[in-house]
Amino acid sequence: MSEASPAQRALAAAWRHSWFRLGCAMLGLFVLLAVYAPFLANEAAIVWWDAGGISLPVIADLFNRNTFGKQHELLFNLFALLLPVYVLLWRMLPGRTIGRRISVCALILLACWAVVQVPLLPRPSGGYQALWAERPTTQRTSTTVHRDAGAARWCLLAPIPHRWDATYPSAVLKPPGWTNPSTGARTWLGTDPAGHDVMARMLFGSRISLTIGFIATGIALLIGTFIGAISGFAGGWIDLVLQRLVEIMMCFPTFLLILAVVAMTGRDIFVITLVIGLTSWAGIARLVRGEFLAQSVRDYVTAGRSLGLSSGRLMFMHVLPNTMAPLLITATFGIAGAILGESGLSFLGLGDPRVASWGQLLNHGRENPAFAWLIYAPGFAIFVLVLALNAVGEGLRQAFDPKAAP
Amino acid sequence: MWSYAFRRLLWMIPTFLGILVINFAVLRMQGLSLTDTIASGMGKGDGERKAESASQAIETWLGRFHRTGNDLPALINLRGFTTSDGVRGRLLAAERGPQVDEAQRSRAELEDLWLQGPLLVEPLLAVLKDDGAARLHGPASMALSLCAYRPLLPEDAYLLAPAEQDRIRVRNERLKQLRIAYRNDREQGFITADPEAARKRDALIALLHADAFEFSRSSRRWSAIVSETGFVDFAHRLFTGRLYSETRKALAFDVIAERWSVTAWLNLLSILIAWAVSIPLGVWSARRAGSFADRAVTGLLFSLWSIPSFFVATVLLHHFCTQDASGAAWFPNRGLSSPDSLWLSTPAYLADLAWHAALPLFCLTYGSFTSLSRYLRANVQEQLASDYVRSARAKGVSEDVVVWNHATRNSMVTMITLGAGLLAELFGGFVFVEYVFSIPGLGMLTLEAAKQMDAPLMMAATVVSVGLLLVGILIADLLYAVADPRIRSRYV
Repeated sequence: MSEASPAQRALAAAWRHSWFRLGCAMLGLFVLLAVYAPFLANEAAIVWWDAGGISLPVIADLFNRNTFGKQHELLFNLFALLLPVYVLLWRMLPGRTIGRRISVCALILLACWAVVQVPLLPRPSGGYQALWAERPTTQRTSTTVHRDAGAARWCLLAPIPHRWDATYPSAVLKPPGWTNPSTGARTWLGTDPAGHDVMARMLFGSRISLTIGFIATGIALLIGTFIGAISGFAGGWIDLVLQRLVEIMMCFPTFLLILAVVAMTGRDIFVITLVIGLTSWAGIARLVRGEFLAQSVRDYVTAGRSLGLSSGRLMFMHVLPNTMAPLLITATFGIAGAILGESGLSFLGLGDPRVASWGQLLNHGRENPAFAWLIYAPGFAIFVLVLALNAVGEGLRQAFDPKAAP
Repeated sequence: MWSYAFRRLLWMIPTFLGILVINFAVLRMQGLSLTDTIASGMGKGDGERKAESASQAIETWLGRFHRTGNDLPALINLRGFTTSDGVRGRLLAAERGPQVDEAQRSRAELEDLWLQGPLLVEPLLAVLKDDGAARLHGPASMALSLCAYRPLLPEDAYLLAPAEQDRIRVRNERLKQLRIAYRNDREQGFITADPEAARKRDALIALLHADAFEFSRSSRRWSAIVSETGFVDFAHRLFTGRLYSETRKALAFDVIAERWSVTAWLNLLSILIAWAVSIPLGVWSARRAGSFADRAVTGLLFSLWSIPSFFVATVLLHHFCTQDASGAAWFPNRGLSSPDSLWLSTPAYLADLAWHAALPLFCLTYGSFTSLSRYLRANVQEQLASDYVRSARAKGVSEDVVVWNHATRNSMVTMITLGAGLLAELFGGFVFVEYVFSIPGLGMLTLEAAKQMDAPLMMAATVVSVGLLLVGILIADLLYAVADPRIRSRYV
């Protein structure tokens, strides 16, 4: 196909920048770590071979009651299973461009996610509790492995045989390298004040950061594109009113608003994601409006109009694809901003206490300044992830508009 | 120039109003429901005792709801149009008579009636005056005494004269005494159980007539549609400075008055420092564009930009503010002044202040070095390639004059615009820095209020932050007009 979309051309141009490639590599590494976190840090054995045959306890652990309570975990777990399939069948996927194939992959993932939800639907016999109640949360935990290791002919444990949400006895604020007596395994980055393994929490924290970053930015993109497109295309008083709205959101110290809403409605990870998404669309709306204003005087729009295309079709099928490159750039920086917002909120002690978050670990480090690993591990992780996203955004920006700074 | 400033000022009014609306929406988000509160408060007992415990719960909670405007409808108040027939219907709906199916009976009807406020005094009074509806007199008097109740809020201690407070207190007490005791019986419905019912009824009617609806305002049914709503109440409280912080036991603005100047000074200093560092840095890079030093500085600044300020602040606190074995630390770890700084001489005091503010200021500013200096670099580079710079050079003007007086000066407009944007970023950032370094500023106050669910204080702090921000943006707009003659000439 000789006809490449503007976004694709920008991507191809960005690939020539070393910053961009480095950023993509780092980002890919983070995604892989997040997706395969249950295989890296889990009490359940990966392979277990005993008299009863060979089993994969970790796969059962991917879909237990705990994961169904946390939908983002479920999505990542499904993705962990689907990713090898995608890689193997990449050439067979429908869609010619990379963007199309990625969309197909995302759709398959969402379809699987919807199918897996079926047991959660209300059932006469008490919903999923009845279905999953008999199911043990973990089948072969490392504790049982150590107790009856003789029973297994061969087994493969996760490199970090600790659950991220398990509190281990007498494991409060232990330094890196401390051996956990209840599992006999080392804690690579020590433990936090509640007795969790910090390394396991770091791995699962990347899931939280990536989820918040992508979903919040997705919400912001939807709202911002819609408002910006209408504002730029309609003009007149609609534009005036919407511009006031954008200006209000630009003026508002958004972080204070997020703080207020989270304090008022409860520290739930989905509320936090939603609020970050709902408050960060102003920049996107302004950008899209500018792009639409610039595009609407172009010849192809006039041609489309005279052909009798409806405004909606013209806006979203013809003008929007031409604004994709700047949108992609803003979205990349937006993801970094959303990740910073969530970890900042957790750092202030207003995050969701039920999930593993890097900001939360950093806050423990602030409260216990003698334990430097609690400061450096999460802080460095946030820094590298944000740097990766900024590098990707910067590469795209330089490819798209070489004159722009920095 | 002035018409430009005035225009900008006018545009800020809708912006500020919009921000108020958002604030109000957040305030209403608290899951407070008075009916639920009463339902939990009247769990035990029946009839008289039940009503007594419920009215206790209301009196404690009415104040809290009143303070946040949560006892009023959000935007439109139609309670003034409730007729006495409507009130009678709701009283009957709450009755537990034999003819009423238990499943159909609306449990919340009566409780809702208690919370409707002064606008229902008139229709309730009509029910009470009606001799034919004797069995409804008990619940009607109960609802009446609560609707006409004027809760004495903590902020009234600041706002009302002691004599006036006493008068309200006596009246409230009298209202409580004049409730006609009744039972809501499963077999017979409402039963008046009070031997003094007739006397109390007359006294209640007389009392409410005597103060001529001073506390009931039911003659204002049309204006009440807009004026007695949650939003107007909130705005009124805000603009008259009556937002009361329950956790601090003080008016919210009194608490803020002690705190805001710290934040304002820190922000002002941060912007000045950000400019003072970024302008030379940007010009330096622009003159060496493409060299190894330029690329190295760009890469360094780019990494610096990605480090979250709360991480930097925590690391600095960990390394430079933690006392070593001898009890000495490089920098103090909390506050903006030493405990004994009040007794220091002025230079010593300023030195103490600088010693305390150095690390927080660094945390606030380092993130803005990147964007400011890189924008300036690109802009100066562009200017240096333009025709007027070439002709200046050809004239024999020295390179320093060309760079600083011509190119940089023309790039300053961008810097001012960016400064205004920077301000908005700073207002989010100071929460972290104040939190880590324990600086008693607005950010710390907002955070404490958020953690304690102190909505009025949080709203007041947010509004003051936004006010400071808008003032900053206005100043930037004016500077913009000063720097760019084209803007001045457009608004003559």
